[in-house]
Amino acid sequence: MTRWRKILLFLSVIGPGIITANIDNDAGGITTYSVAGARFGYALLWTLIPTTIALIVIQEMVARMGVVTGKGLSDLIREHYGVRATFFMMIVLLIANFGTTIANFAGWAASMEIFGISKYIMVPSGAFLVWLLVTKGSYRMVERVLLVACLIYLGYIFSGVMSGPDWGAIVKNTFVPTIKWEPEFIMLTIAIVGTTITPWMQFYLQSSIAEKGVKKEDYKISKFDVVVGCLITDIIAFFIIITCATTLFPHGIRINEAQEAALALRPFAGQYASILFAVSLANASILGAIVVPLSTAYYICEAMGWEAGVNKSFKEAPQFMWIYTALIVVSALLVLIPGAPLVLLMILSSLLNGILLPFVLIFALSLVNNKRIMGKYINSKGYNYIAWGTVVILISLTTALLVMSVAPFKKP
Amino acid sequence: MPLFGELFISELLKKSVLDPKGDDLGSVKDFVVVKGDPLPWVSAIILEKKKDFYFLGWNNISIFNKRIISANVYALQLKQYEFSEDDLLIVRDILDKQIVDANGAKVVRVNDVRLEGINSHASLTAVDVGMRGILRRLGIERRGEALYNIFGKTISHNLIPWNYIQPLEPRLSTISLTVPRQMLSALHPADIAEIISKISHEEGAALMEGLDPNVAAEALHEMEPETKKAIIQSFDKDFASDVVERMPPDEAADLLGDLPDEKAKELLESIEKDEAQDIQELLGHEEDSAGGLMTNEFIAYTPQLSVKDAIEKFKINAPGVETVYYIYITDENERLIGVISLKDMLLASPDVPLSEIMEIKLKTVTPDTDQEEVAEIISKYNLLAIPVVDDKGVLLGIVTIDDIIDIFLPPLSKKKRRRV
Repeated sequence: MTRWRKILLFLSVIGPGIITANIDNDAGGITTYSVAGARFGYALLWTLIPTTIALIVIQEMVARMGVVTGKGLSDLIREHYGVRATFFMMIVLLIANFGTTIANFAGWAASMEIFGISKYIMVPSGAFLVWLLVTKGSYRMVERVLLVACLIYLGYIFSGVMSGPDWGAIVKNTFVPTIKWEPEFIMLTIAIVGTTITPWMQFYLQSSIAEKGVKKEDYKISKFDVVVGCLITDIIAFFIIITCATTLFPHGIRINEAQEAALALRPFAGQYASILFAVSLANASILGAIVVPLSTAYYICEAMGWEAGVNKSFKEAPQFMWIYTALIVVSALLVLIPGAPLVLLMILSSLLNGILLPFVLIFALSLVNNKRIMGKYINSKGYNYIAWGTVVILISLTTALLVMSVAPFKKP
Repeated sequence: MPLFGELFISELLKKSVLDPKGDDLGSVKDFVVVKGDPLPWVSAIILEKKKDFYFLGWNNISIFNKRIISANVYALQLKQYEFSEDDLLIVRDILDKQIVDANGAKVVRVNDVRLEGINSHASLTAVDVGMRGILRRLGIERRGEALYNIFGKTISHNLIPWNYIQPLEPRLSTISLTVPRQMLSALHPADIAEIISKISHEEGAALMEGLDPNVAAEALHEMEPETKKAIIQSFDKDFASDVVERMPPDEAADLLGDLPDEKAKELLESIEKDEAQDIQELLGHEEDSAGGLMTNEFIAYTPQLSVKDAIEKFKINAPGVETVYYIYITDENERLIGVISLKDMLLASPDVPLSEIMEIKLKTVTPDTDQEEVAEIISKYNLLAIPVVDDKGVLLGIVTIDDIIDIFLPPLSKKKRRRV
């Protein structure tokens, strides 16, 4: 019995880290990894190791804040840095997440078209499904859906193995860094880091941990959850790169979108690998479409002190319902309008995310080192060196990405 | 120096304070507030100059208004200020913090604080929790108003008078209420649960510890299992056992089953013996079976009892029992032999024994019957509760329809969760 209890306790704390990590691999992430694998083969695999370490360092701190304070990151920022900083941060977050939502609906539309189903049917029904699940479903149901959806990500591992990769080369490229001084190579390196460590997931992770009410004594389990989640994120990324690197790279097939990867896979890796890839993309997209608009609406309303809740009416919680509904409806519509500047919006969104990340990280680091908030749970001196080091590197990389995306050398 | 009229904190922050010669003493960083009569008032301004903080007492201020703040002392006379937990500071401790607006069962944020001149003091009269406060903080109150006017709307003033605000903890560091705690107890438990779900668990626990244990138990009932678990663990030990004692045994058992072993044991030991025994019995069953759902509070009488005596007895037993619509009839070995609905018992003639009016074709389940099956039977035969018996026919408890509904249709407040 006690053993079962221990397992139960373990299961009750586990979850936020793993779910966050999986949602992190949304349509945008999958596109980046696919493009990287098709363009440079196994050469970029090594970047996943430092990325994982950075991800773990950042998320561990955020999770710790969630456990110790029982509050979300946007609450803490509002309480300690005032209305102005919070307001501008939330505006940027809103626009950036608007782009992310578009990317997810676009990913959903594209993956459905691979199966020959028109996006004019699937996008509205997908949007309706998301809205229905969130407003009419119970939290338990949503959590179950999310956990099952997380399992579908395993599809990428299978399609990776099915593609018949060269394991020797993979091991070598994973542990021995290669750097090519080409703009495209550097840009993709940075893009991998940028798509893995995003501002909104820090908000999401801290809120969901705070919401779980994890006790300080159980923090070890939460830490485990976070670390495992980070590893899973990057293992999935690893296999996406492998799939595209093994099948598309040798034939010199360049892609720009994840759905192109799914289509291009068919002749080389077989129909099943292709289907698995497409299903996983559809899943990741719809998962993102569920979580991103809802969480965005929540953080904004909580930080500003507005009423929030999915089963509130427009009259009871106007800001919340408008933000939530508008994010879904406008994104879905934009995906359906022929010739809408989707790519531009998505680039804008990643730019804004890039601008936002340094602020989020610096706020997070100074909050986690604030004794009034964290008590004895502040960072140790040694850990602070690692944390600040990580933050500085991330900030310089995102700055580089910002410069490069405005600068003339664009993707071919 | 006196303050005439009223002004908002946001209009003063970062403003430069001048000495008698008109030189800059520093900019306004924060305000120290002390208890005053009738309302708390500002006792000093904290100034910031070149990363150092200085203390400027209220007596040393000569002009204090929106446009100008000046002191009657010079920079050299100012004392350095060390931030201390003993002082109550407006910016650090009040501004941007959450407030429970009990009237609307909402949690709002302090966007601004209003000062008003009363008896030559700057008294804290109200907090602004509305849109206007946000716009003012952002420095765009006018423009915001103009924008609203375009749409034919006005921004409402949303001020909560300070005398309605009750600090939750002696120091107003975390969260405060807009009503006295006694009034919070008068809210519907579902509203209390909703408020709790919006603030951190420790604050939630602190808030609930001030409530009547009965109300707290009912409010807990409305919460999601995880919140419930976190809150009960944050309670002070005595309060926790008070609350658990007031819960129906089946619910208490569910809750204790979710807690870490030691905590559950500690709680069980501290609550009343009878209650503890009831809970312990229930703890042995799987959560999603009839045994896990059942409560061992029910009404059971012997078949020989007359209707008149049974009704008398019922009046004594019923207050402590949640579901009383069925009177179960058990023999000397506590085996279930019949059932009478409350309606039938009340309508029967007083002198007949219960055995004559009881229904003997019974629907029963065993402790390991799956919850889905229990639900099917309850729904098929339109029951309000179903008895649970062991293999010898001994009545162990009943599963009530509201517990079944909770499984398939979680209460509203449980759906209102975020984190998706």
